Amino acid sequence: MTTQLTNRAVARTLQVTLLATALLAPAALADGKLAIKAGTVITEAGAEPIENGVIVIENGRITAVGADAKVPWDAKVIDAPEMTAFPGFVEAYSPRGMDRPNENIDVAPFLDVRDSIDPVNFYFEDSLRWGVTTINVQQGPDCVIGGQGRVVKPYGMTVEAMTVENNAGIVLSASPKRGNSNATQAQALRKAFTELRQALEELVQEQRDGDDRARREALYQGRDLEGEKAKGRAMTGAGWTVEGLDLVPRGEVDEKLEPLLALVEGDVPAFFYCGEPMNVHQALEIARENGFLARTTLVLDASCWKAADVIAEAGVPVVLSSELVDRERDPITGEEIETFVPGVFAEKGVPFALSSTNASTQSLWYQAAMAVGLGLTREQAIQAVTSTPASFLGLGKRVGSLEVGKEGNVVLFSGDPLSVTSFVERVVIDGEDAYDRSTDVRVKQLLEGTQPPGTAAAAELDEKGHVHDDGEVDTKDEKVDKGEEQSDDDKGSGDDDEGGEDQ
Amino acid sequence: MSTAMRSALAAGLVLACSAGLFAQEEQRDWKIFGEKVYTATGDVIENGTVAVAGGKIRGVTGGTRGGDGKNSLRAAAVTPGMVDLSVRVGAGTDSVEQSREVAPDMRTAESVDVFDVDWDVQARSGVTTALVCAPDFDVIGGLGVVVKTAGPSGVRARTVKADAVLRGAIGSQPSFRNHPAFGRPDDFFSRRPTTRMGVEWELRKAFYDAAAARGSDERAFPGSDELRSVLEGTRPLMLQTWTTQDIRTAIFFKEEMESEGLGHPRLILDAAAEAWKEPDLLARSGAAVVLPPYPLDGRTSDNSFMTLDSAKLVHDLGLPLALSAHGSGDPAARLDRQAGFAMRGGLSFEAALQAVTIAPARMVGVDDRVGSIEAGKDADLVLWSGTPFETSSRVIGVVIDGRLVLDPRPTE
Amino acid sequence: MISTTKMLTTGVLAAVLAAPAYPAPASDGGADTYAVRAARMLLADGREVEDAVLLVEGGKIRAAGRGVDVPAGVPVLEHDGVLTAGMIACHGYSGTRGETGDDTRSVLAEARIANALDLGHSDFANALAAGITTLVITPAPDNLAPGSTAVVKTAGGTILSSAAHLSLSFTDDALRANRYPTSYGGALAELDARLADPSGAFAEAVAGRLPVLFEVSSRDETQRAAEFATRHGLGGALHGARRAGEVLSAVQQSGLGVIVGPFDPGTPGRQLDSVVALGGARVPLAFGLDAPQEDGDALRLSAAMCVRDGLDPALAWQGLTSGGADIAGVGRRVGRLEAGLDADFVLWSGPPLDLTSSVVEVYVDGARVFGGVR
Repeated sequence: MTTQLTNRAVARTLQVTLLATALLAPAALADGKLAIKAGTVITEAGAEPIENGVIVIENGRITAVGADAKVPWDAKVIDAPEMTAFPGFVEAYSPRGMDRPNENIDVAPFLDVRDSIDPVNFYFEDSLRWGVTTINVQQGPDCVIGGQGRVVKPYGMTVEAMTVENNAGIVLSASPKRGNSNATQAQALRKAFTELRQALEELVQEQRDGDDRARREALYQGRDLEGEKAKGRAMTGAGWTVEGLDLVPRGEVDEKLEPLLALVEGDVPAFFYCGEPMNVHQALEIARENGFLARTTLVLDASCWKAADVIAEAGVPVVLSSELVDRERDPITGEEIETFVPGVFAEKGVPFALSSTNASTQSLWYQAAMAVGLGLTREQAIQAVTSTPASFLGLGKRVGSLEVGKEGNVVLFSGDPLSVTSFVERVVIDGEDAYDRSTDVRVKQLLEGTQPPGTAAAAELDEKGHVHDDGEVDTKDEKVDKGEEQSDDDKGSGDDDEGGEDQ
Repeated sequence: MSTAMRSALAAGLVLACSAGLFAQEEQRDWKIFGEKVYTATGDVIENGTVAVAGGKIRGVTGGTRGGDGKNSLRAAAVTPGMVDLSVRVGAGTDSVEQSREVAPDMRTAESVDVFDVDWDVQARSGVTTALVCAPDFDVIGGLGVVVKTAGPSGVRARTVKADAVLRGAIGSQPSFRNHPAFGRPDDFFSRRPTTRMGVEWELRKAFYDAAAARGSDERAFPGSDELRSVLEGTRPLMLQTWTTQDIRTAIFFKEEMESEGLGHPRLILDAAAEAWKEPDLLARSGAAVVLPPYPLDGRTSDNSFMTLDSAKLVHDLGLPLALSAHGSGDPAARLDRQAGFAMRGGLSFEAALQAVTIAPARMVGVDDRVGSIEAGKDADLVLWSGTPFETSSRVIGVVIDGRLVLDPRPTE
Repeated sequence: MISTTKMLTTGVLAAVLAAPAYPAPASDGGADTYAVRAARMLLADGREVEDAVLLVEGGKIRAAGRGVDVPAGVPVLEHDGVLTAGMIACHGYSGTRGETGDDTRSVLAEARIANALDLGHSDFANALAAGITTLVITPAPDNLAPGSTAVVKTAGGTILSSAAHLSLSFTDDALRANRYPTSYGGALAELDARLADPSGAFAEAVAGRLPVLFEVSSRDETQRAAEFATRHGLGGALHGARRAGEVLSAVQQSGLGVIVGPFDPGTPGRQLDSVVALGGARVPLAFGLDAPQEDGDALRLSAAMCVRDGLDPALAWQGLTSGGADIAGVGRRVGRLEAGLDADFVLWSGPPLDLTSSVVEVYVDGARVFGGVR
């Protein structure tokens, strides 16, 4: 009821301070050597934990892992006999960390998340805090075809510094964009590819007719027409091809359409979002018809487990939503059926990755732990948040486990990574000290209430990671405070004796 | 594996979701085996079997092996059924008499709805006993009732202790609906209190009036007896106190009653999110503390701020400590998760276990019946898939008064 | 149907040619004596009697059953179908034109819904056409004590009782946010106080002279009302309890009857199961309507749905007639085909619980008030 004094700038200062502190901390330089000695080292899902193991990182790569790995004499050493070293978590698909997850435009493959990633967005800070070291930032599902994504590490002051892999895929959605119906969405998807094909055929025809319109346009727009772009290339696509495309220099393909062409040629991964089981069929059909099924990963809402057989048959992997249990209530009997979604896919042998609910208390560690409780083995659960998402992102050789040759992304936990009592103590990314809990003022405040001098108390954040500007805190209890008639406390909701769904 | 999971979930839920109607066989005798049996008395029994008969615990034996008879259950861990003193389920706006701000004679036992589907959710999540109070729209809302979260269809059958506490609230909630008499005073909300000061005034006035009515029939009013029971210390006073100032007000009120010779109230501070800010005052008061659910980012109701180490702090002060979940069905916020968060903030496992079992039972005087696994107590037990309160553990079985509410056995 | 007409024609001809004049058409009133022979007669306890006779005199039933002696000269109507007592709906708001509640106070025990009735309203004609000859009109449950119910006949304007029950509402509709009481606890406290030192309608209820109609909706309200009735020794019936069968012991202990319905094809199975459970436990049942009805067949439909779900058809029929009349407190006037009771009866084309049957004629106080051309 009392208006909360928020100070957006101060809260931001808090976030900036954290990152700045991290940067200034005595860190191993990118070309230096770092040795981490941990009481327990878990190299990957299913591996026997190594007691008193050592991880050596040189030039950002792991060069040795083991109980008897030799520590170079000139290496900085992190000595953590009480801690557990673990590979960083990998977020397979995340439309967060940007100001807005989608544009209004239906088909926008020419957009790039590089232009909307905000390095100081609270999402990245919190991801780091909970041990997530690799994030596939993609546009959200509120589109027909979205823009290009990028794999980043939640550490760095610019997008370039954060980038692990650019051009990390395009988002498509079989689930209707706001305002569309399933029918219009499906049609819009088909139309996008039909229009691509038509445009390419027109381009070829123009070339044959000697019309240089395309070239002039390319020059006018300042597109690159040198090197590879100067050459034409026969179209390679398993779905359909356009004869004669080798006549057309690649640089002359409209830059709005070029990413789609790359998709159809199988050059970029596709992340295809499905909100309901029926969307799965639509998605697979579009992918098959247009030749990118082999590069497709489905991003699924909970109810899509019903299409698991179809997915298994198609041989595509999936990214699961944070809703681990799909609940359905029989409207007549009131009986509730619960289905553990990852369990279905595990049983069918479909590779799957888990997603976090939010960057904070329900991050990937939480999803993995909950999944264990609901029926996955520990190995399966850890795989789903480390090596499996790494492979979806084409980074299977770079991240996802602590192995020689992989990137030096190590998280040090105060205990078992899946335990609620464990804290992330240190995070090392590419051999650099990215996070140290002892200097994390926010965790200190949340844990003990200590408030750094000159700052306001931690403010409530909305799901975008922004401070509540209206000063009102909207928790469930607050709604009761305001005496809203239909609060959950009211017998009205939920009691099947009342009007509502059952009488 | 997942199909079996699915069936088990479905079976267990169908069993529980037949709201109060139980399976044909009313099996009430069990042998419940747990690799670890946490009794909440400080003892942990390895490979223990809890013998249940006639709805009561007969005893616990260690070093056993689980059987597979028709009345055998097994789990990785067994704990007593959990107790939530701030469950906020089953009593909505129909339970609070808003025509006056001070209604100590109103009995929540008369308005609690034991058929609310939220009880199923509570029972299945391992909360077996709950204190139900009226929502805090009044300064003094009435007498709370302790009930089991599942059982025969009826309030009497489920009541463990009626009129267990007198409930009140300090803070902004009791006053938010009232307005001064500007314009048309067209409803009874045109009255005091409209501020925190007014709320406190009503609270103190009620007790002063009750004390003055001692032995005088003329000055008696509805509820004066109940108020006096608090002054005499025979019934605890449970006050909702989210913020520091509310906690201070509550404790100063108690001390005022004592220094004025009016009595010795026993305080239970509910939703004391900012207890961490007043360690000395709390220690001095000896009040029992019930903590609300942990908020995501520290900030919670009434603009209070709750730290993760609140539970540990209260426990280290030597005060009775209970955790609560406010009836949340959200798997991330249930009572067992709250215990996990408390442990994350530094509370030991045993203290966290007690904070959701025997400690709340003791606070409201039902520890003779529930709160620990001891011979003679009600057979309220929770079976776990792993270490209790860990995120990777789940409640897989629940027994209340010897009746199986959630079946841990996989269906064929 | 066709054979009836044929027989009637024959009968009329015979009567015209032979004996004394056939009774005048309906508008004449029931001053005459006549008999009706029906292929089947459905009695209140569910028994069917073949080839039975109903003897009517002065608007009352003189005799009913098989082997009834029809005195010479008394005209006999033949009916090739089923003859039953008129049905009774034990709850409804017909003819009140929405004047069923008063916002000003929560206790209006002395109010009588009988004062708000327009007996010429088309609602009654609609009910009559569906075979309903008696209606209980109830105040809306929006006050703690909204007043007393009335029992009326759907033809002829007879008010059988202008204060048949004291209505007490245990629903949350009676608990308003701006009027005392706002809580169940407050409501119980108020009612306890009123019954402890009763006057007026409350005194009548406590003395057992005025049964109570308990308005409830959810299970906890049902239980609360039943326990209240037991505690204060009040008799009467529960209405609105959609799942009373699940709180059976409280209902049984109270001795209250239960008025159920109306049901339609969308009604969840649990509500019908509840009625079957009540029937199985021999709790007195009756059926009611809610809003003023355009289709009085809702009453029959409700009963038929319960029978399909497993209710003993005899109990269903009892609920529609004798049981309902008893719960309405007018069992000595209507609801049974027994000597001395009012001649309110219905001629059906087939068994009334068979929904393919229809009403052929309806008689109230011995006069034909609906249907047929003789």
